[in-house]
Amino acid sequence: MLSERRSRSFIDPQVLSRLAAVPLCARRPMQGSVSGRHTSPHRGASVEFAEYRKYVPGDDLRRLDWRAHGRTDRFYVKEFQADTNLRCCVVLDTSGSMGFGSGGVTKIAYAKRIAGAISYLAAQQGDAVGLACVAERMVTDIPPRRNPAHLSVLFDLLERAKPEGETQLVPLLHQLAETIRQRALIVVISDFFADPAQVRECFEHLRFRKHDVAAFHLLDPLELGFTFQRPMRFIDLEGGPAIFAEPNDIADRYHRALHRYLETLRKAVVETAVDYHRVHLDEDYEPVLMRFLVGRTRVGGVR
Amino acid sequence: MSFLQPLLLAALPLAALPIIIHLINQRRFQTIDWGAMRFLFEATRMSRGYARIRQWLILLFRVLAITALVIAVSRPLASGWVGLMGGGRADTTLVLIDRSPSMMQQGTGTVSSKIETAVSQLSQALATLGSSRLVVIDSAAREPQELSSPEMLAQSPAATATSASADLPALLQAAHDYIKSNRTGQTDIWICSDLRANDWDAESGRWKSLRDSFLEFKQGVRFHLLAYPELDPENVAIEVTNVRRQKVGDSGVLLVSLRLSRTGGDGAKRRLPVSFEIDGARSEIPVDLATKEIEIKDHPIPLESDRVRGWGRVSIPADRNSADDEFYFVFDEPPPRRTIIVADQEQEVRPLTLAAEISPDPAAQSVVEVIQPSQLSTIDWSDVALLLWHSPLPEAEAATEVEAYIERGGRVMFFPPAAPSAAKFAGLSWESWVDSPEPLRVQSWRGDQDLWARAQSGAALPVGELLIQRHCQLAGEFTALATLAGGDPLLARAPTPRGGIYFCATTCSPRDSSLATNGVALYVAVQRALMAGTAELVNTSQLVAGHADVGERAEWTQVAGPEILLSNEFSYQAGVYAVGERTIALNRDPAEERAGVLSDSRLKELFRGLDFHRVDDQAGSVRSLAQEIWRLSLAGMLTAMVLEAALCLPKRRLETGEPA
Repeated sequence: MLSERRSRSFIDPQVLSRLAAVPLCARRPMQGSVSGRHTSPHRGASVEFAEYRKYVPGDDLRRLDWRAHGRTDRFYVKEFQADTNLRCCVVLDTSGSMGFGSGGVTKIAYAKRIAGAISYLAAQQGDAVGLACVAERMVTDIPPRRNPAHLSVLFDLLERAKPEGETQLVPLLHQLAETIRQRALIVVISDFFADPAQVRECFEHLRFRKHDVAAFHLLDPLELGFTFQRPMRFIDLEGGPAIFAEPNDIADRYHRALHRYLETLRKAVVETAVDYHRVHLDEDYEPVLMRFLVGRTRVGGVR
Repeated sequence: MSFLQPLLLAALPLAALPIIIHLINQRRFQTIDWGAMRFLFEATRMSRGYARIRQWLILLFRVLAITALVIAVSRPLASGWVGLMGGGRADTTLVLIDRSPSMMQQGTGTVSSKIETAVSQLSQALATLGSSRLVVIDSAAREPQELSSPEMLAQSPAATATSASADLPALLQAAHDYIKSNRTGQTDIWICSDLRANDWDAESGRWKSLRDSFLEFKQGVRFHLLAYPELDPENVAIEVTNVRRQKVGDSGVLLVSLRLSRTGGDGAKRRLPVSFEIDGARSEIPVDLATKEIEIKDHPIPLESDRVRGWGRVSIPADRNSADDEFYFVFDEPPPRRTIIVADQEQEVRPLTLAAEISPDPAAQSVVEVIQPSQLSTIDWSDVALLLWHSPLPEAEAATEVEAYIERGGRVMFFPPAAPSAAKFAGLSWESWVDSPEPLRVQSWRGDQDLWARAQSGAALPVGELLIQRHCQLAGEFTALATLAGGDPLLARAPTPRGGIYFCATTCSPRDSSLATNGVALYVAVQRALMAGTAELVNTSQLVAGHADVGERAEWTQVAGPEILLSNEFSYQAGVYAVGERTIALNRDPAEERAGVLSDSRLKELFRGLDFHRVDDQAGSVRSLAQEIWRLSLAGMLTAMVLEAALCLPKRRLETGEPA
């Protein structure tokens, strides 16, 4: 699929080929437009038996189960589950804070790899993929589509995504929850530097709209460890005021604040059933994605 | 706190290094683009009380560690001697030791006396402090003695108490003379004393001149007083006030009068055994001591009939001050009551001769010798009890001889010559004769003391019956013992430190007064002066230690007294000594135990304007005056470093959770 296109910095074909062995599954029924490999809330013509239903005039006689009629002398119609595709919408946080990275790779670069891989995997199995880049506004928003050309456009947009501006993740997630049609897989890739209570409201909103929400929380090891030795002047990547601090003086309180934030967020994602993945930037993205895919397989099952 | 190496304290600013490093570190900040600003904002909003205190504590402990190190290498001293080495190491250290008997007082629960403790403390302190030159001046000899090392101080004879009272002004004068003659550099003067008022003589005019002369020294003189002012309220002192030998039948009796005094005033009644030792024979009597002081008059001790002279000792059981628990005395046949009458005409002084010759005690022998003024040089003054001078006042050599006699304790009574001269004696001179048309009577006289005091029964003498026709006026400073109507003195006494100088303003001649005809007043006056003079003669054998200027030192032989004694200390130590043919008893000055302790304010006044520090110690104290405490400083440094390290330990990081 990629051979005829130019290579992308965030796409590693070998990784993708290994990840392709595991399907991308939805954790809940999806309402696709075409047949696919995901469960649909409707009955259809798959090989997966769903239920028997009493015959009512007008039903297709071909679907009458004559064996059941022979046993019970009543007319039953045999129904099967429908197979459908899913709409996957990747939400990429492109705010200024995503430009941070202490170990050579920035959050935005890492996020692009995850977004690229998920987009490719979804498209490969016939699912529609869309992309929304959010910062202080909706930078990019392309709706999910299934054709490979669309994937190329999506990669182009990913390529061009730059970390800048303040984070307005919360209002933009609310906006997306309203604009994306029901029952989509929404993958949010962000550092989630927002109020955890507001983030929770976003997740609840998406959940209310029957979306399957997955979140990749990107954290840099330096942000977690705060292992500075000398006095530092911290310049806000999102344009806020700079802070001068003595790390030894502030470290314990920083860790306390960080710990409280992570705990609140973890509680929020558990209670809103978000497929949450905390990702450290020093970790390779392949196992992260593998863990993501396998986890979903266990929950949603493979068709 | 004082230091042996105060120059190293110049390194104390190094203690600011941690602060300087901290400030430099603050300036060497790094800049970083940061995403997780919300946590930083949140952290800065949190209470940072402990964190800030922790930072300051770390800095403080670092500063303290360096300070303690600098202090340790400066060799600090733990002592009460504030500013001991404040001006640097002394070039010369003078140790003035009060060797008065009260310094023998032992401390509570210890056998160390004040002087032993003082010397031991000083020895240790000086060994620690060091000095280029160490000189000891003790209160007995007042001779500067250079010591090679402070350890020698404890072995020096100056480290023992004597029976001689100290004269602190004289001691300081000796120190002053030493500093002046040796031109010492920075000098420390250490005074060890128990602050007895009689030793310090705070009222003396010498203190002012001493202060002024010490202030003149440019090199700096520091005074350190190691004081032992503690008094023992239970201390009892014994003193012999009078010793007489009396013949009773064939044998003799020694009548000893003694006084027991207690320091602490009235207290519980105590029974003390008083021991008498007469030429080695001992006897003992119990004495109940219920008041502050008790006096025993004429306690008889039988003597062998042929024993007319000898020595004795009274003692009480040793208490905390053993120096005042014994008293020595000597006894001898009473000397003849020898009177010298100097007169131009023997006939004129006949009444005086009779008054002096007729002794109230038939056993006492009275000798009167009438001489011309020119024969004065032939007189042997050693046994003269009274001098009656009926001639122009002595001048030149004669005056010198009479003055020496008075200085020894003799009594002299001057009568006006027929033609008064301008000569002066003891600041007094005869002026002119006054003839009274009517005989004058004595208007007032001192009946409470001196020559015309009341009789022992309390009856007044018939001085008022005297009739004075002529009297000679007296010029100069005197104390009137009897005053005539009109204000002129009849009997006056000139001020004198020892002995007695009396001026009688009229003569015994019947044309001048009724002194001879109404002879009681004259007889009493002459006999009382004679008795006082005789008592002084007896007292020439009963001397106060330190004031005995008798014979050459080589002539002294100890008869009784302390067993281990250097011969050059004889004149300072109580005991009985043979000096040539004389036997003398030396004792402490009785004023020693009666004197109180000099008040703090008075002491400060004495050293006003001088660099003076005082520390009070106690006899038997084991607390060192000056002790090096660099180990303590090092321990402090280590403690500061450990605390600093503990505060620097990183806190246990909060668990941020595993990836979900």
